[in-house]
Amino acid sequence: MAHNVKILPGATVCEDCTLEGDITIGGGTVIHPRVSIIAEGGPIIIAEYCIIEEYSKIIHKKSEKQENPPKPLFIGAHNVFEVGCKLESIFGHIGESNVFECKSFVGTSVRIGSGCVIGAACNLTAPQTLADNTVIWGAENNIREALEKQPSQVLQLDFLGKVMPNYHRLRKQNFHKRQPSRQSQDGK
Amino acid sequence: MAYLVQPDYVKYTCTCGQQKPITNLYFCRHCLKIRCSFCISHEVDSHYCANCLENMPSSEARLKKNRCGSCFDCPSCFHTLSTRATVAQPRQDPAAGDAKVENKQSKKMYYLLCFNCRWTSRDVGIPDQPVATGGWPERVNPFNSRVNQLLDFYKAVVQQEKQEKLDKERKKYAIRGKYITLTDKTGLTMAMARNIAGLPSSEGAPSSAIANFVPSQASAEWQPADVARLYPLARPLSVKRSQRCRLCDHNLTKPDYHVPEVKIISCETLKPGATCALLLKLSNPTAHEMQITLVDPAEVPEHQEREEGRTIEKSLEKSLCLEKDMSWLEAVSRKVDVTSPLSVTRPDVTLTLAQRDDAAEYDDDAHTHSDDVILWRKSNKLALRLQVQVAEGAVEGPGARLPLALRYSYRNTVPPASAAPLVRDHVLYVAVLLDLGQVYAE
Ligand SMILES: [Zn+2]
Ligand SMILES: [Zn+2]
Ligand SMILES: [Zn+2]
Ligand SMILES: [Zn+2]
Repeated sequence: MAHNVKILPGATVCEDCTLEGDITIGGGTVIHPRVSIIAEGGPIIIAEYCIIEEYSKIIHKKSEKQENPPKPLFIGAHNVFEVGCKLESIFGHIGESNVFECKSFVGTSVRIGSGCVIGAACNLTAPQTLADNTVIWGAENNIREALEKQPSQVLQLDFLGKVMPNYHRLRKQNFHKRQPSRQSQDGK
Repeated sequence: MAYLVQPDYVKYTCTCGQQKPITNLYFCRHCLKIRCSFCISHEVDSHYCANCLENMPSSEARLKKNRCGSCFDCPSCFHTLSTRATVAQPRQDPAAGDAKVENKQSKKMYYLLCFNCRWTSRDVGIPDQPVATGGWPERVNPFNSRVNQLLDFYKAVVQQEKQEKLDKERKKYAIRGKYITLTDKTGLTMAMARNIAGLPSSEGAPSSAIANFVPSQASAEWQPADVARLYPLARPLSVKRSQRCRLCDHNLTKPDYHVPEVKIISCETLKPGATCALLLKLSNPTAHEMQITLVDPAEVPEHQEREEGRTIEKSLEKSLCLEKDMSWLEAVSRKVDVTSPLSVTRPDVTLTLAQRDDAAEYDDDAHTHSDDVILWRKSNKLALRLQVQVAEGAVEGPGARLPLALRYSYRNTVPPASAAPLVRDHVLYVAVLLDLGQVYAE
């Protein structure tokens, strides 16, 4: 597998994590140690200001109906992946401001809009589409609709960006922003 | 042995016959008997909020409908709501135009958020508050005046009934416990308490069918049908209780320091007709040496509280026309079922256990005493190796229980009542039920 990890300026990516395949990490995003991001079915693009916590797994699975060239998995801005969550989506797009709570699991055939919350330990395996602002919580996967998007974690991101370099070895940013190319990435 | 979330593998038999893990039991140091929540009287000490730990006198609690003034539960999932602060962006007034001045006035505003289901007070249009605690709009029950009317009426009824009862009882001189019971204080009857404890009382609709109504019924005064009308629930208060023995009215203690503790170390696979080894750990929690013998559960003398009660009353109180209400005993007591496909060969030895010594924890040299029965010994603990026989006809499946009874010596350290003679050493019995898991056929 080609290892082609692009870390944009302003991203905080710990060294002690598994990044495999073609991965782009947007500015302002914080990736904690022990995170696995595996782009085996196509590139993964993580937009700005995401928090990806310890033991999270983001996998772009190989699918049978693989397009050629493979479609990237685009993860929108301000998403929070809490400790131990797992995302296996093969759909090209995850919205923004979603929260994947601890130990949650999102299977391959789940489409996720924006502002959704997948509650702690909730398992989504059946093919489905989560409309914007859907909240799934509890042992019985109760569903409710939030009125507004989840508040963004700006303060937490600020704090992590300041503190993480003091306690962890970080990967160096290796990709310099070029205005036009960035715009085309965002548009995907 | 008791676990927080796992099933209870070792259950002790209460004096009334209920079987419970040791953590749910009490011990009366005056009657020298094990008591469970069904055979003690519960007394309300005080009201408090389990979230902010604030104490509230009971009169105030009644006034506030037994709810905390500053804590709220989520109306959708009943998780405790957290207060979140946001920096309010002062509204940009296009007429004023001077944004810099207004920014200085920006202040923190607070709203309520549920971390479990992400319900927020903004969902139902409650305005953000300038203070962190309190100040949340109180809602008035639309039927307030009617409810008050009914309350007044029933208060009058109660008053009248009390008067009638008093007139009747004046002739009887019946005594009740010296202490206020939970029923007196809250109107919660034993049957209701049993229901709350999860005991089956009547056949009702399955709870899953009415689950959708649960959030609606939680705010009983409004019963909103629409989720958009679910307002935060003021958190119900908890009570601090003290437990008293129903027979002697003394305060009860936990059995942790009075009853030998039995733990299962391991057990071989149970097969019908087979004999398998069972390792148990016994420990003596008391400050005195303890002699323990394994006895047949059928040998455990039946508890004769009723008889005892009568003899005391005969001698003293009957002459004074005093009679203690013992009807509760009938309601809770049950016969202990000791039939089981499992039986154990009881070693014919008396085990002596040293007193509890907290310092011994730090001793390295374990007394590795080993014979057929005792696997090892260490300060106040020992491990027993027993043989369990599984009956030929044992049915395959989980829940194989082994009844076991211990006879143990107990030294009473409570000074006796003035007249009574001092009896320090007692022989007590405790029956336990061990859950050894599954019986596997060949
Ligand atoms: Zn007692
Ligand atoms: Zn009992
Ligand atoms: Zn409170
Ligand atoms: Zn909630």
